[in-house]
Amino acid sequence: MSLEIEIGFTLNGRPVKVRVPPTMTAVSMLREKFDLTGGKLACGEGECGACTVKIDNRTINSCLMFAVDCDGREVQTIEGLGSVKGLEIMQQAFVEHGAIQCGYCMPGMIMQARYVVDQNAGNEHKVTRDDIARGLEGNVCRCSGYTKVVDAVAAVVLEEAST
Amino acid sequence: MIENYSVPSSVAEAAQLLQQGDATIVAGGTDLTPQTEAGARTFASHLVNIQRIEEMRGISTSDGRFRIGGLTTVTEILESKILAEEIPVLVEAADHFASPQIRNAATLAGNLCNASPAGDMCIPLLLLDAEVELASWVDGSVAIRSVPLAEFFTGPGKTVLQAGELLVAVEFRQPAKGFTASFQKSGPRPALEISTVSMGLAAVLQDGLLTGVRIAIGAVAPTPLRATATESTLEGRALDENMISSAVQSVQQEVSPIDDVRASAWYRKHLTGVYIRRALSHVAGN
Amino acid sequence: MSSIELKTGEKKSGGINKVFSKKTVIGTRVTKPDAPDKATGKTIYINDMVLPRMLYGKILHTDRVHARIISIDTSAAKALPGVHVVLTGEDIPLLKFGTMRDNVPLKAGKVRCIRDEVAAVAAETEQIAAEAIALIKVEYEDLPAVFSPTEALQEGAPVVQEDHPDNRSLAYKFSHGDVAAAEADSDIVLEHEFVVPYVTHCCMGPGCAIADFDSAGKLTIYSQTQYPYNYKMDLAPAIGIHPGDIRVIQPPVGGAFGSKLDVYPFEPICALLSKASGRPVKLTFSREEEFINSPTRQPAEFKIKSGVNKDGTLTFRSVDCLMNNGAYTSWGPTTPIIQMRTFTGHFRVPAVEYNGLAAYTNSVYAGSFRGYGNVQATYVTASVMDMLAEEVGMDPIAFRLKNAQDPGEVTPQGSKLDDCKLKECIEIAAQKTDFLSKHETYAGLCKQPGRIKRGIGIATSIHNAGGAKIHKSDGCGSILKLDDYARATLITGASEIGQGIDAVLTQIVMDELGIPKADVTIVNNDTALGPWDVGVHASRTTFVAGNAALQAARAARKQILDAASKQSNVSAEEMDLRQGHVVQADNGVSIVKLDKLLRQMHFADEPELVMVSEYFEPDSELEDRNHVGNLSATWAHGAYVAEVEVDTETGEVKVTKITAVQDVGRVINRLGIEGQMEGGISVSLGYALSEELLIQDGKVLNPNFRDYKVPTAPETPEIELHFVESDCKASPLGSKGIAELPAIIPAPAIANAVYNAIGIRFFAPPLTPEKVARAIHGATTQ
Ligand SMILES: Cc1cc2nc3c(=O)[nH]c(=O)nc-3n(C[C@H](O)[C@H](O)[C@H](O)COP(=O)(O)OP(=O)(O)OC[C@H]3O[C@@H](n4cnc5c(N)ncnc54)[C@H](O)[C@@H]3O)c2cc1C
Ligand code: FES
Ligand code: FES
Repeated sequence: MSLEIEIGFTLNGRPVKVRVPPTMTAVSMLREKFDLTGGKLACGEGECGACTVKIDNRTINSCLMFAVDCDGREVQTIEGLGSVKGLEIMQQAFVEHGAIQCGYCMPGMIMQARYVVDQNAGNEHKVTRDDIARGLEGNVCRCSGYTKVVDAVAAVVLEEAST
Repeated sequence: MIENYSVPSSVAEAAQLLQQGDATIVAGGTDLTPQTEAGARTFASHLVNIQRIEEMRGISTSDGRFRIGGLTTVTEILESKILAEEIPVLVEAADHFASPQIRNAATLAGNLCNASPAGDMCIPLLLLDAEVELASWVDGSVAIRSVPLAEFFTGPGKTVLQAGELLVAVEFRQPAKGFTASFQKSGPRPALEISTVSMGLAAVLQDGLLTGVRIAIGAVAPTPLRATATESTLEGRALDENMISSAVQSVQQEVSPIDDVRASAWYRKHLTGVYIRRALSHVAGN
Repeated sequence: MSSIELKTGEKKSGGINKVFSKKTVIGTRVTKPDAPDKATGKTIYINDMVLPRMLYGKILHTDRVHARIISIDTSAAKALPGVHVVLTGEDIPLLKFGTMRDNVPLKAGKVRCIRDEVAAVAAETEQIAAEAIALIKVEYEDLPAVFSPTEALQEGAPVVQEDHPDNRSLAYKFSHGDVAAAEADSDIVLEHEFVVPYVTHCCMGPGCAIADFDSAGKLTIYSQTQYPYNYKMDLAPAIGIHPGDIRVIQPPVGGAFGSKLDVYPFEPICALLSKASGRPVKLTFSREEEFINSPTRQPAEFKIKSGVNKDGTLTFRSVDCLMNNGAYTSWGPTTPIIQMRTFTGHFRVPAVEYNGLAAYTNSVYAGSFRGYGNVQATYVTASVMDMLAEEVGMDPIAFRLKNAQDPGEVTPQGSKLDDCKLKECIEIAAQKTDFLSKHETYAGLCKQPGRIKRGIGIATSIHNAGGAKIHKSDGCGSILKLDDYARATLITGASEIGQGIDAVLTQIVMDELGIPKADVTIVNNDTALGPWDVGVHASRTTFVAGNAALQAARAARKQILDAASKQSNVSAEEMDLRQGHVVQADNGVSIVKLDKLLRQMHFADEPELVMVSEYFEPDSELEDRNHVGNLSATWAHGAYVAEVEVDTETGEVKVTKITAVQDVGRVINRLGIEGQMEGGISVSLGYALSEELLIQDGKVLNPNFRDYKVPTAPETPEIELHFVESDCKASPLGSKGIAELPAIIPAPAIANAVYNAIGIRFFAPPLTPEKVARAIHGATTQ
């Protein structure tokens, strides 16, 4: 048998344990071991952002990260962003602004959008469309042309600034 | 085939593990993963994940020296208040680096040890005469040696790092008063762009004369390049149009770029000329 | 959001009758029904699917561009534990498929290009499949190869396809009027050459198929196809089964953009692996495989000669188009069908001719890609229009207006411009952007010193907007049923690939039947259920499927109102369906709740279900042998203006704004139309500035997003959209097809803007920083 490592971490708020080969990527682990297929393996090279997940308050490309490095950390995927009750405000904004077409890029895009806005918490009035676009520079979308994506994020910035 | 996986929590522990040989170090994995997935590189039998070595993180200053831990991420450099104030050129380079997600994972040590001629963080650090601190396990304890960054790179993907050595930190002296530096990178994207050319230039402009000139250029030679000949052309001289023109000529002779899918050698030389002009006028403007 | 909600009206004296006002959702912003699941990561795309007992397939692609296969040794692969099947071209019968029947799933005897599939494996895991592929040994003898179409057409060139010893593939010829005489009479004649590159779709979901043969020899294939019904016909010969024995299921896909309008070898290979293993087999491309193996947009070399009189009247246009066919023929070399319409019919040109030829080479082959040949034609014509205008001393607007057609004109190929809005589009675009004054100012500054130069440019085009009759039928079927709770299900032939037909069809059903969005379900992913449709292409889906749905909804509405009128004293004409009620049209007073009526109909002595089927065939014509005929039921124009900043030192071009003016007939879903326009503009921005699949000696040099640069958010310009609306007569819905023009027109508008900024014309997109810098500095430096 080839080497497998047991790791434990918090996945979308719940503790989990799993055995993974040391070179398995985090995206493969999430998709294959936990059926969390929201995040996509669309390039495997860090160039498209479709695999974006949040680890300990920072988003990363899960196709570049080894699954073993999730040990002891907090991992959040798109499936853990909303709740069973409904969509999280960023998800809702993407729906309402028509940002989603084929949607393949969207789990990663929305995770990154949430991160960009969180990074600017308390500073919302200063956030520009350009800042948002820069925050999303690692996420490729071939359908939307980004305008509605930025619209959606800008709307969330405004909404969260006012609450 | 990987037979062993370790997660050391201190430099000492890591050095001991590495001393056993045949190990692959992984930090953020942003270079290692695509390289191994593409088959361009294979793993050694022992995978050593250094991400849990807390002593290798963070940015500090003491006695007029800056120290940046090898595991400090590019995001941490980008967000560092002290660097923004004292060494903005490092922050500028971080701002042109990859994407937010990659910056969140990419470590400084990984960028240097990967030794890509286009490695962006190398450029400002070369301007700062930085030294890298390398640790290894010798005779039952951690041995540290310091190597000037300018001597660290030996070729594309190659460094003076010995088997069993770990890059622990980068250190440099607080720059002299009046030090100004700039970083430029080919676009048109702000980031997520492997540099066609990147250039850093630093100098102190005093009484109209340039001193302490440093020029570092990425993606125009087998390693990140210190353009020492052009530096001496400029050293102690006044910045006028003649001087700028000869700097352009000199630097274009100093670089030895190649043609590849991203750009031709001609364009890389051309950009080198454009950037040095811009860098010099930036210095002149400050 | 949908504006239909159940609102209680003013109560009548008795308090029983509710009143409902008339509301339409047509033209509003209706969100995509599938968006919430896509936003939460719930949607299971084809790439996410796992079937019980499923095996993983993998293909061994050749590393040669033209070679004889001496031997293939699969023994080690077959011996690897976990491997179920290894197939080579020798293991299967000769299964020819493709537009020219020149392709086979697995190549035997010879490979002709870097994509060629020489062996395939089905194994228990992806990793085992990959290991098995690595164990296959192929011995080749290299053959002389040819990569340029010009060289391929020369005597003695290496022969790519033995059945075509002269390397000639498809050819197109059209001429109208006396071109030679017109040329002789023209005041000015200009000749230009353009070269357009290979570009690729970059669907975010890489290529994927899952094939599952049952014990009776019938195939269910889960596919990314955008044309499921004809797909069966095209796939069958590649597997050696009857088209009727194929059921196509279309799970959600990560984009298509024309790349899935043909059968590509990995799909029959996947099916053959399933047949041989008796298991479902999934085959997925890596991003690198996707870059190398998925079809590209057709590259071409154009020679164009154009004439104009001093007063600015166009006199003739003559175009030669030489296409690199690659080693096999997919849809790329058929794109002249649409491309020709622009060359011959965009602007009033009395004498026109077009000669198109595709030559086989050992390069990769092209398919269709959003715009279908018109991207290339528009880059050429819009650039030439600006050059001609300058030559006669007219501004780009006046020159275009002078030569623009009026409503009612018919182009030489027979495109009927009944409601032509070309002039209107140009005028609005010029006025909204303050075009003329900027154009003049920037042109004046062009030769002045300065690092950043600004420019503004316009481009226009025409495209089929009422389908495109390239098959005998360009229609779409719709089945609509209502259940006892007044929930409607529309079963349509039209596929959803992200473009948003689900929202549009939902709106149409909501509007005709007066029911809320949540009560409409669209079913469109299974050929066993759905009625015929040609496919998602040619900007046709809202036009064709929308009108089919409208017909069905109107038929259902009639049945409902007839039944209601039988029960009440009100005639069907005096009733309306609003917010779940049958109401009196004049005052909105509810007569009966819709669900109650439907139950009454269902449980009556003579039971009646509301269940209708309709078929919409647009009023268009097949071309005749001379390429004449009104191919599309309606045509649309657009005028786009680009504003740019050029860094004259680095050559970087930044597009600051795109203003798009387009004839859309009528806006159905405002959210959807904006999304299609913005997305199309982004694709065209890439075509203009950064995208090129670099192919050298038949090999792909940049099969990754690192070096094949698609636009990202920070490069996206400000976009301003203007819709020219007028109910289109050819369309009961009033709408025209819209989704390709935005991917067609911006690129030449950008190139024209760059010319305005720096006075240099680019005859070969993309305008990469290096290309622009070379054009500016190439002569002076080194
Ligand atoms: C999409 C994409 C875009 C990118 N863009 C840029 C860019 O714009 N500019 C740029 O400069 N780079 C870029 N990179 C490269 C990469 O992100 C950086 O080089 C990064 O800093 C590497 O750090 P890491 O921690 O991920 O290294 P790893 O991948 O973990 O390691 C890199 C190499 O260094 C070795 N190593 C790591 N740490 C140590 C140590 N402490 N001691 C000894 N050896 C060590 C590893 O064994 C490995 O060989 C990009 C990468 C991707 C995937
Ligand atoms: S799949 Fe991870 S960045 Fe593309
Ligand atoms: S919505 Fe299709 S790629 Fe983004």
